[in-house]
Amino acid sequence: MNSRPDPNESENPMNTPDLKVDALVVGGGIAGMQSALDLADQGYRVALVEKEASIGGKMIMLSKVFPTLDCCSCITTPKMSAVAHHDNITLLTTCDVQALHTNGNGGYTAKVQQNPRYIDADACTGCRQCEYVCPIDLPASYDLDMGATRAIRVPFSTAVPQKAIIDIEHCLLCGKCEKACPTDAVDFSQQPFTFNIETNAVVLATGFQTTPTDAKREYGGGKLLNVIDALSMERLLAPTGPYGHILRPSDGKEPESIAYVQCAGSRDQSLGVPYCSRVCCMYAIKQAMLLSGALPMADITIYYMDIRTFGKGYEQFYQNAKAMGIEFVHGKVARIDEDSEHNPVIRVETIENGRIAERTHDLVVLSVGMLPGENLGPIFDVQPADDGFAAIPDPTLSPSATGHPGVFVTGTASGPMDIVDSIIMAGAAAAQAAAYLETMRSSVAAGPTAIPEVAHV
Amino acid sequence: MSEKDIRIGAYVCYCGGNISDVVDCEQVAETLRGLPNVVVVRTDLSMCSDAGQSLIEEDIKEKGVNRVVVGACAPSLHEVTFRKAVARAGLNPYLYHHVCLREQDSWVHQSNPDEATAKAGRLMLAGIAKARMLEQLDTIRLEAEQHALVIGGGIAGLRTAWDAAQRGIRVTLIEKSPFLGGHMAQLETIFPTGENARQALHELIEKVVSHFLVTVYTNAELTSARGYMGDFRVTITAQPRGVAEDFAHFDEAAAACPVEVPDDFNYGLTTRKAIYLRYPDAIPNTPAIDWKACTRCGECKKVNGTGIDLDGKPQTIDLTVGAVVVATGFQPYQPREGEFGYGQFPEVVTLPQMIRLMTMQEGNGKLTWNGHPVNNIALIHCVGSREIPGVHEPQEDGRVNDYCSRICCTATLQMTNELHERFPYINLFDLHEDIRTYSRGHEDIYTEASKNGVRFLRFHGDERPEVTAAPPDDTSPLLVRVKDYLTWGKELEVPADLVVLATGMMPNPVSDIVKLLKITEGNDRFLLEVHPKLQPVETAVPGVILAGTAQGPMNIQETCSAASAAAAKVGVLLGQGQVSLEPFVARVNHDLCDGSGQCVAVCAYEDAIALEPVLVDGKTVQKAVVSPANCVGCGVCVSVCPNHAIDVQGWTLEQYEAMVDAITADLPKLEVVE
Repeated sequence: MNSRPDPNESENPMNTPDLKVDALVVGGGIAGMQSALDLADQGYRVALVEKEASIGGKMIMLSKVFPTLDCCSCITTPKMSAVAHHDNITLLTTCDVQALHTNGNGGYTAKVQQNPRYIDADACTGCRQCEYVCPIDLPASYDLDMGATRAIRVPFSTAVPQKAIIDIEHCLLCGKCEKACPTDAVDFSQQPFTFNIETNAVVLATGFQTTPTDAKREYGGGKLLNVIDALSMERLLAPTGPYGHILRPSDGKEPESIAYVQCAGSRDQSLGVPYCSRVCCMYAIKQAMLLSGALPMADITIYYMDIRTFGKGYEQFYQNAKAMGIEFVHGKVARIDEDSEHNPVIRVETIENGRIAERTHDLVVLSVGMLPGENLGPIFDVQPADDGFAAIPDPTLSPSATGHPGVFVTGTASGPMDIVDSIIMAGAAAAQAAAYLETMRSSVAAGPTAIPEVAHV
Repeated sequence: MSEKDIRIGAYVCYCGGNISDVVDCEQVAETLRGLPNVVVVRTDLSMCSDAGQSLIEEDIKEKGVNRVVVGACAPSLHEVTFRKAVARAGLNPYLYHHVCLREQDSWVHQSNPDEATAKAGRLMLAGIAKARMLEQLDTIRLEAEQHALVIGGGIAGLRTAWDAAQRGIRVTLIEKSPFLGGHMAQLETIFPTGENARQALHELIEKVVSHFLVTVYTNAELTSARGYMGDFRVTITAQPRGVAEDFAHFDEAAAACPVEVPDDFNYGLTTRKAIYLRYPDAIPNTPAIDWKACTRCGECKKVNGTGIDLDGKPQTIDLTVGAVVVATGFQPYQPREGEFGYGQFPEVVTLPQMIRLMTMQEGNGKLTWNGHPVNNIALIHCVGSREIPGVHEPQEDGRVNDYCSRICCTATLQMTNELHERFPYINLFDLHEDIRTYSRGHEDIYTEASKNGVRFLRFHGDERPEVTAAPPDDTSPLLVRVKDYLTWGKELEVPADLVVLATGMMPNPVSDIVKLLKITEGNDRFLLEVHPKLQPVETAVPGVILAGTAQGPMNIQETCSAASAAAAKVGVLLGQGQVSLEPFVARVNHDLCDGSGQCVAVCAYEDAIALEPVLVDGKTVQKAVVSPANCVGCGVCVSVCPNHAIDVQGWTLEQYEAMVDAITADLPKLEVVE
């Protein structure tokens, strides 16, 4: 973030705001959506900018959520819908914030680029006729490449907005979609489009990424067919998932023995990730419970260093899992290999008896950790701390405030946290943004006469 | 409106295949065409899409549709969406009825498409039957008092008060004790930042108490509450402080006071007098009389005639507030007599006591306790946390603390690090079940403890360590026996000059507030939110909001986030000066009401329905009158009224009957003919 616009940009577009709001929320995952809703519900005008074609973030990919085991869609989609239909929210998908400048009035000007969908979003009804005729089959990124999708598609069944997008890199420009579209919405001529948002407050909710499955050589470096990450298991367990069954990759067989390897990317100095990712214990236990339902005969083992079920209702959740017969083995998995049938073989010191054990499973799930998402330094001047997540100057009393007045960071952009904590923190960022907006307003409008009487006694 | 003027638009949604893969939507639509009053029937791939909503808007404007029925997903998802679309076209939004064809039909009858189609038809017919009887309703809009009552003057209450006041909402903050700051004032440093806890706390307190929108009462409790969101009438009772603000003879008065009680600021490690300051720079910095301890002997008054008043009367303050924030905090778990030797051996202390003890121990030379040098310290985790029903002894209410208290692992390791820094010669033994240093920067504290040479021992939850007296010739007075699973289940004995129990969190006992505000506690005794993700800081009582550790264990940072989230909710509820409620509340037909009062007797909601004098034909008679703001529309009154004088607006008995008739009617047209 610069205090003044770049003088090299002649005819600076910064001078002409195309959208004026009270608060700009960057990121349409659960934290960003919640911050946007908590601000908009207070009457503030909000622009929510999401770089993907749909809001929902990582949360919308999940199957069920702990500790209530609610269907994830049932929690996420109403919030997505509320964002899309809120009178006070302008939802901007396929948009990147490219620059943020102070505007001299205590507020900010954001330069935003909207990337083309190659679809007239106003005309598209999300009918998917285009998708049905598209000749290009691609691995579905939403299903972590387990299912297939088309080069033109509505991102996923519950996407908001329900608008198609063309993956132009893979498109043959055959024009079949154009012919099939009942509303003539396909538009190959679209170009990136840049505009400005004038705002007084900014909430950064840019989220996280998960540890890549190839991060750890000892765990097969991503080459073992039947070692998957927990996000893939979420998709396998989701009702909207790719197969509708739990199938292992190598041969499509239903696994009878499934192992979870905890801290596969967290608390691991060798990966440069010394911290705990906070969510993996609970999601592994949750998935183990769901698998017990989906595959009642399967044996499920969780290899762990410490079980960290610290949230409200979480310890009870863990105890329930133990009572259900899920096996918990205390030990850090040292290595994963595979046998001739691609069955993963886990080598672990079982600490309770001090023995080295080698155990063969049908499927291994890596409980991958949370890594920092976007580096907020270059554009927002919110520098990463040593762990890569946003540095917070006063983390104890003001966990959302950055060093810049009116700029807040929330959710997993500020460190690993689960959905419950993200939602709480999103509310906190909204409260502090609202307080900032009111302070700005009163510094303009109010004199001593505006002070109301103190509560009567 | 006469029946012939009713023009219904009926829409059957494919839900992108969610419905149409099972239900033959076109056949359902065909069934509806030509029915009385039905002027438009349409199907669409996705009615909730902008295009789908536009269809409805156009039909209202161009075809004169004045009742809308959409068969789609569950009403919880998109009922409001369609109501808004109807309103955009200029029609009253309650002239809309939502039929659930997905959750209630296609999703649950996937293997039976023919019957699912028949069911969809019947559900739509029922919706249309109701739509004929829909009437215009208005949301109940109430003026909201832009004023929040915050109960609790700890970090949660202070942070909520600050954020709400900054937002422009007036705040009254009440604190039960004479001093602000809660448990945070008893801490020295905050992990993991190492900040000075009291300094950070005092900065916030100063900001809060000097904010022009904040009024603070100490020694004050909530003693009555009624009303509803936007308009709660509350009474606060404030006990006198007993000491004037300008009283300048505290030290002499305290010396003169003959009453000595355990000082709860130091968790009973020291004593204080009945006239006291919580700590030297406590806020407010005026001493107070501890009325529970004071014998009113008057010795303190003899020091200086003015400035002390032992005969003051409580003051009551009546307020109207729009929202109430419950930030009543926690108390550390108090171990039972003999639990891990607590109360039995003087060398057993709790972690909160240890934190105070470290402050009182001056210098970095030798740590002594009870006059004895301390060379070995055992710290035991999960005391009063993660207890197992059937294994651990229940408390008086029959429950064990089966939850994790979240803060104790890091706090314990932080303590070992402080001990190591100040008294590096001490052997430290950490006995735990799991180490839960989960938060940002917390794992570093664990790593540091490991590097410091803390010896970690690990026990199973159902095999907790035992604290016993050591044989007389041992150098340390206590032995801690533990079955350690880091050494393959060996029975080990740890010598200890001091045993520190990492006690968990329990909510402060607030049964009076729970009763007054009609909120609920969970099984863990902490106050219960509506839903951890959908309404994480709201209680089931609209306008009553939770902040901080009253809701569950949290550290300071998490408490501040939760408190700010509570402030955001206050802003949502009160920020615009008005609250609006759905109009689905009871309505009494005074022509039929005979004033029997049966409705009043069964109503579970205070002030929702009452018998009031009403003038009928020049005579005053008692009739039931509904207070729409307090009614939740549950319909219990409807079921007991002997005269059918009560209905819930938007869901009248007549409407229900019409729907039931439509569903059960013999409709051959719907049956599937192959």
